[in-house]
Amino acid sequence: CTEGLLDLKNPNLLTTDTYWETKDDVMSAFAATYSLLRDVNGGYWGVRGVELTNGRGDDFFIRNDVKDLYQFSTFTNAPDNGVVTNIFNNCYRGIFRCNQILENIAEIPMSEEERAQLIAEAKFLRGLNYFHLVINFGDVPVRLQTPQSQEEYYAAKSPAEEVWQQVFQDFSEAKAGLPLEYPAEWTGRATRGAALGYLGKAYLYHEDWDKAEAAFSELMQAPYQYDLTADYADNFTAERENNEESVFEIQVQDVGGTNPWDVGSSNEALGVTTAQEFAPAEVAGWFEAYPTDKIFNAFQEEKTPGGDFDKRMYVTLVWDYPGAMYYNRPFSEFKSEFGFQSRFRKYQNWQNDNEGRFISNINERALRFADILLMYAEAVTMQGKPQEAYEPVNRIRQRAGLSVLPAGFGEAQMMAEIQQQRMLEFCREGLRFYDLRRWGLLQEEIMSSDKVGRQFLNVQKHAWFPIPQAELDNNPEMEQNPNW
Amino acid sequence: VSGTVADSSGAPLPGVSVLVKGTQNGASTNADGSFSLQNVAGGATLVFSFIGYQAQEVPVNGREVINVTLQQDLQALDEVVVVGYGTVKKSDLTGAVASVKAEELATEGLNTVAKALQGKVAGVTIESAGGDPGMGTRIMIRGVGSLNNNNPLYLVDGVPVPDINNISPNDIASIEVLKDASAAAIYGSRAANGVVLITTKSGEAGKTQVIFNANAGVQRLAKKIDVLNAQEWASVSNAAHDAAGLPRLEIAEDPALLESGLDWQDEVYRTAPVQNYELSITGGNKGSQYSVSGGYFNQRGLVKVTGYERLNLRVKSETTKGRFRFGETLLLSQESWTKMPGGWGGQGGNPVGSAVKMIPVFDIYDTTAVGGFAGAYGPVLNVANPLAQLHLEDIRNRSTDIVLNFFGEVELLPGLSYKLNLGYNNTHGYDYDYERRYQVGTLFTHQTNDLSEDRSHRRLLMLENTLNFTREFGKHSLQALAGYTMQQNRLRTLWGSAIDLPDGIKVLDAAASNPATGGNLYESALLSMLGRVVYSYDSRYLLTASFRRDGSSRFGDENRYGNFPSIALGWNISNETFFDSFSQAINRLKLRGSYGVLGNQEIGDYLYSAAIASNINYVTGADQHKWFGAIQTAFADPDIKWENSSTFNIGVDLGAWQDKLTFTADYFIKRSTDVLLNVPIPGSTGAVGNPVVNAGIIENRGLEASLGYSGGKGDFNYDVYGTISAINNEVERLGTGTQQIFGGQPTHHGSSTTLTQAGGEVGAFYLVKTDGIFNSEEEVQAHSKNGTLIQPNASPGDIRFVDANGDGSISDEDRVHAGSAFPDFTYGLGFNAQWRNFDLGLFFQGTQGNMIYNGFRQDIDGMNLEINYSKATLNAWTPENHTDFPRAVINDPNYNTRTSDRFLEDGSYLRLKSLQLGYLFPAQALERIGAGSLRVYLSFDNLFTITGYDGYNPDLGRTGSILNRGVDYGHVAYPLARTANLGVQLQF
Repeated sequence: CTEGLLDLKNPNLLTTDTYWETKDDVMSAFAATYSLLRDVNGGYWGVRGVELTNGRGDDFFIRNDVKDLYQFSTFTNAPDNGVVTNIFNNCYRGIFRCNQILENIAEIPMSEEERAQLIAEAKFLRGLNYFHLVINFGDVPVRLQTPQSQEEYYAAKSPAEEVWQQVFQDFSEAKAGLPLEYPAEWTGRATRGAALGYLGKAYLYHEDWDKAEAAFSELMQAPYQYDLTADYADNFTAERENNEESVFEIQVQDVGGTNPWDVGSSNEALGVTTAQEFAPAEVAGWFEAYPTDKIFNAFQEEKTPGGDFDKRMYVTLVWDYPGAMYYNRPFSEFKSEFGFQSRFRKYQNWQNDNEGRFISNINERALRFADILLMYAEAVTMQGKPQEAYEPVNRIRQRAGLSVLPAGFGEAQMMAEIQQQRMLEFCREGLRFYDLRRWGLLQEEIMSSDKVGRQFLNVQKHAWFPIPQAELDNNPEMEQNPNW
Repeated sequence: VSGTVADSSGAPLPGVSVLVKGTQNGASTNADGSFSLQNVAGGATLVFSFIGYQAQEVPVNGREVINVTLQQDLQALDEVVVVGYGTVKKSDLTGAVASVKAEELATEGLNTVAKALQGKVAGVTIESAGGDPGMGTRIMIRGVGSLNNNNPLYLVDGVPVPDINNISPNDIASIEVLKDASAAAIYGSRAANGVVLITTKSGEAGKTQVIFNANAGVQRLAKKIDVLNAQEWASVSNAAHDAAGLPRLEIAEDPALLESGLDWQDEVYRTAPVQNYELSITGGNKGSQYSVSGGYFNQRGLVKVTGYERLNLRVKSETTKGRFRFGETLLLSQESWTKMPGGWGGQGGNPVGSAVKMIPVFDIYDTTAVGGFAGAYGPVLNVANPLAQLHLEDIRNRSTDIVLNFFGEVELLPGLSYKLNLGYNNTHGYDYDYERRYQVGTLFTHQTNDLSEDRSHRRLLMLENTLNFTREFGKHSLQALAGYTMQQNRLRTLWGSAIDLPDGIKVLDAAASNPATGGNLYESALLSMLGRVVYSYDSRYLLTASFRRDGSSRFGDENRYGNFPSIALGWNISNETFFDSFSQAINRLKLRGSYGVLGNQEIGDYLYSAAIASNINYVTGADQHKWFGAIQTAFADPDIKWENSSTFNIGVDLGAWQDKLTFTADYFIKRSTDVLLNVPIPGSTGAVGNPVVNAGIIENRGLEASLGYSGGKGDFNYDVYGTISAINNEVERLGTGTQQIFGGQPTHHGSSTTLTQAGGEVGAFYLVKTDGIFNSEEEVQAHSKNGTLIQPNASPGDIRFVDANGDGSISDEDRVHAGSAFPDFTYGLGFNAQWRNFDLGLFFQGTQGNMIYNGFRQDIDGMNLEINYSKATLNAWTPENHTDFPRAVINDPNYNTRTSDRFLEDGSYLRLKSLQLGYLFPAQALERIGAGSLRVYLSFDNLFTITGYDGYNPDLGRTGSILNRGVDYGHVAYPLARTANLGVQLQF
């Protein structure tokens, strides 16, 4: 009679034996996979992710508060860097969760169309995580199944090329199965356009110019309806989220619990803390990051035909111009701790009085149509067709209030223009360092900037992150990246 | 004939039976120990007898007044030792059992039980949890056998309890520590880390006793960390910025204008009172005995605001009627803590950490700020004002605990009895955390008043059926036990939190926003059969054999049951006839040997099944609503099974000159197999956290000994005692064989310090080695391999690290074995003396040969963060002044502050743990107030510590993972107090 005493099932949680029964289970699994994208510790668009993708750029300064951030931003990081470790792990968490969905979905009752769509969505998310791994770490293990035994915990690196092929395959298959759009209650999930946009981006990073061009040009036509927003600023506020320019967007909102750091609990607030970390001390911020004076000056190189600043400069930065307001105070009331002339306005809640509750509601735009246009321009230019880059580049310029380009740009001239526009258009959007690496300009651009720590840059080494020490410690199959 | 009877201290003994030998003529002494007898012949003999005292026969010799002093019967007190599910005669004991009796604790004015054990029992390591009032201690019996949980099993009057911190030391009759497998095997699966049995005091027949104890004292910080004053800080900070080519901090610009600034440590610490009151009443008659006691203990913390309070009530009684015996123990306690908050985000840590790291130029108060506190501003590290932390966040915990044990026993046949034992333990926990709105400097803002409340209810239910058989046949003596037991544990938690409460209202219902709740339930069960035989032949040859079979819900179907046998042999050499010629000198000599298997199941519940974690939420929809998320996030090993530890033990007990000298020594080999462990798996698996698997073999070999000597002459008596133990720990196998487990994070962001791997010991220090300072650019250039600089970012004044793996660069791959957190040996040394009515007790305790990683120093010796620095930074290397302390440079390009052997220190120490001076008032002086005895004492704890260690306290008391054991995580520690206490012990 007491035998049953020992048969205790976990009353708190479902187990893998009892999960994966219904479509609802799959949908919850997707939430848990998307959730990683804004995770406060390791999410690519959580606060640490934003600091990591931007921190090494010549346009970005991170102060000496969190040692791990300071170290990679000044090229003095070591493999034990906690932030880098978290980003690495978080990508693999996403991959593990996608693989679970892919392995379990076959048996779950639903229509075949639904199933195909959800498989495509899982592949998009997996592809996205592999994309982030390969552009940050290079060679990494490719895991397409969940480990079934202890032995399978340990996987060796695959060459970056193999990772790229997986990225192409996942995004291609995702594109084939994803819908063009979702009903309003599901706004924000990956669409066919998102898969196609990332596929093109991956080809561009891989320098498959023709394939990149094909993907982007497809995306620039019907049935896709993407367009630039009339106002550049609409891309960085909580008001016009998921707008016509948004190809893929990370959804954040102060719903849920009270604490943005309480990851994986009902008490977790689902906003991001980035705006609070970047805001000035005077408005409850931690001033962790500043734009360098290099980017401040770069914005001033070309004025509008009316002699005003580039419209994007007002949206991206705030500085001491007549009437400059920031958090409802004159900008001149703020003190610059490190002597930089401007601060970030982009993605800040600067129209409020302060960043008080740590939590920002502004969705992070992961992939904007502006990026598609400039990547298209780059893909055609790199194939010797700079004339075809005019139209997209001019769209970007005109929205910024700049005049159209004069005719007759050669390849090199057009590339220089694209490089300049990308620098200005995407400041604080985590692309600069990766662009510089693609263009072979890391050394030149960083050394010519006022970036703190530039003297420690060793391009061979710092172009890539090292494999995290914890991964090396716990995975006997793993090897460190070259030069680390 | 009349007279009085007193004990050896002169206190009158009431209830002593006085009988005229060979007659029925007798009487008992009254409350003041006096008696009178009529019709006593001048040549008669009086017999004085009393339980617990040696009977005495006194010839009358025609006297009319006879005053007698009875001696305590030490033999009788020593005779019985509590073991699991019963007692055995000490002379029959075959296992390694250490026993601490009430009288060894009584004189100390101690406030917690665990501290009472420190240094007294060989082979038991007690590491204090620092000075945090009401915090527990880490007790480890015979080293580290598990990587999981090394806590022993605690039983209070037979009821398993999670810790013993809530027990008042004055309620304890004896503490038995079951160290080897033979002694502990009866507890099977929970005994691998040893067993601590606590028996509370019982009443004595015919002796009504009222005892009142009180003590009160003060605590002061035993040691301060030496940091810079404002002026010094500014000069170091400026040097560090200059060296990096970065602008100086505005607040440091003109050091000459700064004075010494604030000493934050002085502001945070206080002289804190501690007080303790206890009253106990015991008594009874032949059939029933009772013991009732109550106490109140209040300790304010050294750190302002913090404190601890404990209320105890205990009732214990036992009744024998014919063949039946009934009894119960009821312990009620309520503990309340006011705790200091942890870090407020950023790297300052708790108020102890902030008090060291906070820059001395900042102020404490700012009446214009919300909340009233000032704080750091400017580009400095996010270190909070420690006083603001203490006052703006209110953290209170309360634990209400009921321990109930009830037994009924019936003698079925002579020598055979059945016992039913019911145990119940119920703990209600309550945690309250209120954080008010504030603006502290520019770095810490909290715009709303927030509240969170947690409640937990833990319940243990235990049912034990045992049959006991005791019989002596001629020279054979047999004691047998068989039992069937069941135990259920249940923990239910409930929490709620919300933000934006109106000022002054501190209930969740008043909150305006973000309400959240949660709760969980954990259950486990254990079903067991057990048996034991204790046999002795002629008190010379001894045998104990025991067996337990446990079934646990914590494992899957296949691995649910475990068997735990043990056998032990003993030989009382001193009872052999051939020994007679030595017995003048050596009255007791016993050899013991045992072997047995124990288990450990102290892992969480349900770990054999992979769970679906929930509330991994995301946001979706045009309306941006919460999207509930759930998925498997971690791995589980469905095949996990019992952790086994087999122990071989050999020991000797010796008593010489009628036990004036006592000596016990044990040697053991404890081998733990299938060690359950969270094996770190690669992050690339995608798992959050690490699965528990049976992954290793760990062996502990150790030698432990205790020696005591009592002597005296005339009015002067003394005893000296000492314990020593040495343990050698080795991991034989781990995980995949090449598995390496790194642990021991020393600072907020620092990398690991310890490595556990096959061939080494648990948590050995593995660190990059330093090799002095580069004194010139030539030396930097010379540190190269194949023409490439090993440390390309180094400049003169930076540290030269050892490229141990020879790959031409410095990285964590260069970590090498750097030392051990295990002492070569630990020891305790005590001395007690009485002269007339004065007594003196001294107790020293220490460790030798262990290393400590000083995490605090890694931060404050760094000069790479914008915090206050250690005094040692004043001696930093400069081109003019070559020292062995690296240069000041704020961006630290050479990574001088990396985790390295630079911060590893010798952790050996010798501490005068306690010193006590007492005075016993003479009996005559007490008669007026009607008291039986009165003793006053003055005691001191932690008077001095001899150590080379730089941190607050070499007795780290870091709880949590065993892999962190030797790592001083200073920024969230609580330093040690030096205490002076005045106490009174009054007995009626």
